Amino acid sequence: MSNGTLNVIDGGLETTVQDYPGRPGKLAQGYFPSGAMDHFGLRAANLLVGNGLGDAALEVTLGAVKFALTRDATIAVTGAEAPLQVDGDEIAMWTTHRVPAGAEIAIGVAPGPGFRQYLAVGGTIDVPELFGSRSTYTMGALGGHEGRPVKAGDELPLGEDNDADAGRRLAESVRPSYARDWDIEAVRGPQATPDFLTEKGMQTLFGRWWPVDRNSNRTGIRLESHKFDWARTTGGVAGGHPSNILDNPYAVGSININGDLPVILATDGPTAGGFVVAATVAHGAFWKVGQLRPVGDRIQFREVTVDEAIEIDTELSELLTEASVETS
Amino acid sequence: MATTIKSPFPGTYYSRPNPESEPYVTEGAEVSAGDTVGLVEIMKNFQEIVSEESGRVARILVENEALIEAGQDILELE
Repeated sequence: MSNGTLNVIDGGLETTVQDYPGRPGKLAQGYFPSGAMDHFGLRAANLLVGNGLGDAALEVTLGAVKFALTRDATIAVTGAEAPLQVDGDEIAMWTTHRVPAGAEIAIGVAPGPGFRQYLAVGGTIDVPELFGSRSTYTMGALGGHEGRPVKAGDELPLGEDNDADAGRRLAESVRPSYARDWDIEAVRGPQATPDFLTEKGMQTLFGRWWPVDRNSNRTGIRLESHKFDWARTTGGVAGGHPSNILDNPYAVGSININGDLPVILATDGPTAGGFVVAATVAHGAFWKVGQLRPVGDRIQFREVTVDEAIEIDTELSELLTEASVETS
Repeated sequence: MATTIKSPFPGTYYSRPNPESEPYVTEGAEVSAGDTVGLVEIMKNFQEIVSEESGRVARILVENEALIEAGQDILELE
């Protein structure tokens, strides 16, 4: 028996099916993991509707989307604040709602701060798995719904209704705060001092405010060109610019200095390449990267140790339990 | 009655489809609902700004290639 579908009326700028953690461990096969850009927002939406925390949901960019479901369902929308309506009635984000079949679910444009929303449906979005994940890999045109952002007329299969309660909300104290100026924790390296950059060069990376370029997306967050103080004059056999290295694998959150241009590699980024990664965004802080708004947002990287980075991730994950859910 | 057309998207605003083309609209031109009135470069894509209203362009409020915010006024129609 069919469990119904989520029908797309307006797909907006870029709405994709994403889960968490996507497809980790497949760099050698050519896959960056994909998955939610804001892993907190996705998991919180799933927690509220009673799904597994990493289940598939919709990642909406900016807003301006409309959907309808062909069966009654419990939904929750988390992420960047935007007007949320069911059949024209305003409803709260970070809260579960029981929505009747056929009702129109509309998310308006997020004015900022924040850039992405997550719409979870109780019972999950049941697109086929590809290599262990339902996430859309936008650059590879794989996974999710036909390997691409959804558009008007698409019908996405739903899982079985789990009858999750309405009125479940994430406690205010647990909700993340978004900003236009972001403080993002990052760990030094793997290619930092003393071999690649001088301490002065590293302090440039960690010391200044970096604007988020308009051409930032799920592949990478482009910052702005800046002259760094390099510890060497060339990349030797790897190339003329000191940012050149022999090709090596990259990680999600790598702060990749491409010539003079730093780019944060995001969830659909390249698996490998030949540029220095001077620092790496702490995994537990990567959700902020998912909420960066091109044009106007700025970042300051704050250096943390590996132990502190692990602590940030542990503390974030500990928030995602029933203890953080209030009911009415 | 004056009404403004807003860009739903943040990014770089372009008044013409490519550098060699004429602008989508000029002041004094008639615009119909559904007409494209500008382009926004965002996330390595170009998104069209589509007018939801019909009218005559009273004023163009942004310069070509200006950085704009989501919701910013682009044109004033009368």
